[in-house]
Amino acid sequence: MRRILVNVVMLILAFTVQICVFPQISFLSAAPNLLLILVFTGGFIEGRERGMLYGLIAGLFLDLFYSGPFGFYTLFFINLGYVNGIFTKYYYEDYITLPLVLCLANDLAYNLYIYIFRFLIRNRLNFGHYFVNIILPEIIFTMVTTLFVYRFFLFINRKFTEWEQRRDSRLV
Amino acid sequence: MMKNSKYILAGLSAFCLLLIAATSINSSFLEPLRTGVGYVLVPLQSGVNAVGTGLYNAIRNYSSLAEAQQENARLNARLAELTEENNRLQAEVYELDRLRELYALDQEYMQYDKVAARVIAKDSGNWFHVFRIDKGSGDGIREDMNVMAGGGLVGVVTDVGDNYATVRAIIDDDSNVSGMSLRTGDTCNVSGDLTLYQEGRLGLDHVKREADIQEGDKIVTSHISDIFLPGILIGYASELTVDANNVTRSGTIIPVADFDNLQEVLVITQLKDGGEADAQNPG
Repeated sequence: MRRILVNVVMLILAFTVQICVFPQISFLSAAPNLLLILVFTGGFIEGRERGMLYGLIAGLFLDLFYSGPFGFYTLFFINLGYVNGIFTKYYYEDYITLPLVLCLANDLAYNLYIYIFRFLIRNRLNFGHYFVNIILPEIIFTMVTTLFVYRFFLFINRKFTEWEQRRDSRLV
Repeated sequence: MMKNSKYILAGLSAFCLLLIAATSINSSFLEPLRTGVGYVLVPLQSGVNAVGTGLYNAIRNYSSLAEAQQENARLNARLAELTEENNRLQAEVYELDRLRELYALDQEYMQYDKVAARVIAKDSGNWFHVFRIDKGSGDGIREDMNVMAGGGLVGVVTDVGDNYATVRAIIDDDSNVSGMSLRTGDTCNVSGDLTLYQEGRLGLDHVKREADIQEGDKIVTSHISDIFLPGILIGYASELTVDANNVTRSGTIIPVADFDNLQEVLVITQLKDGGEADAQNPG
């Protein structure tokens, strides 16, 4: 329970940083997608249900921020959290390759989702341009950030595991 | 539990699809929810934004000090030049005022009431150009109000909470503004286009082939728009070419407002009403 609470607080902080701080730094051509990182690492480490919960929260934030059709981001993020939760059986600490591959796949899927349902649908066919100028920079930034955030997540995860074990042993 | 999660996922997904469909048609029923969340998140956003802006400005100020000194010398020279020019122009303004009264010219768009607001949040991805300001319905902001910065049109309010409002910039790929040439009154359409924006431009289309719009013309919002007030400067026309259909021309617009560095904006607290009366008299 405490772990969920901490993650939710981190989601709120990530969302705030993402929309309040990154856009200020005008020389950044792209910004890492923090919410995506938190949702997929949360799902990957803690399983499907948790992934879905974090996805739900992150999606709601984004839907509340944009004034387009409500549910567009929530739909994507709950599925993202769930699918990454499937890979939790391959989860192994200090193993960074799989999270990075997942990150690549997730961010690509996220951007394709937006491109297809918000741009292609309005007959914007110049995919190559969007890919080079928007999708690629964001994926690179997000992957680099994942390297750090994932370590941080592992650290927090280990602390919680220790704490839970200590509590359990005290109960027994 | 594992079995269940699949159904929860399916249920939530279906619910989202339902919401997307419902809000595509009418999104007003979600307003209480947005406002409620706004009460929690907006103070947080304002705080983080203030800290971020402060830090960023401090770093930028430091690095631009040397530049500023050079610029100062240059600007002092320019100031002398401009003071002289200003004196001359002021004399001309008196004359203009007198002539305006004489011809009973309509100068209403010079006198729109405005409210200043601070940009507290922006989309960090590059897909959309939507931002949030720290004034809401409590400050008299309403949906569809026009937003300006740097002397030019910036966007339109799409969503209002008690203490915040969301603005869609005119450079957003979804945005279309009905415009006209200030010189001739011939109409055109100004569209946001993501591919053009990377070059710092807006799209200009639906210009009739015989319409008198030339490169360098000031493009302002037109009378026929039902959202945008007439006469707000958008930018300057350029690169006009005849379309493949041989009936219309299109080109680009160099916008006046600086969209990369929006920190403060002005919201015009006057709504355009009665689009129909204007539609009879296009241009």
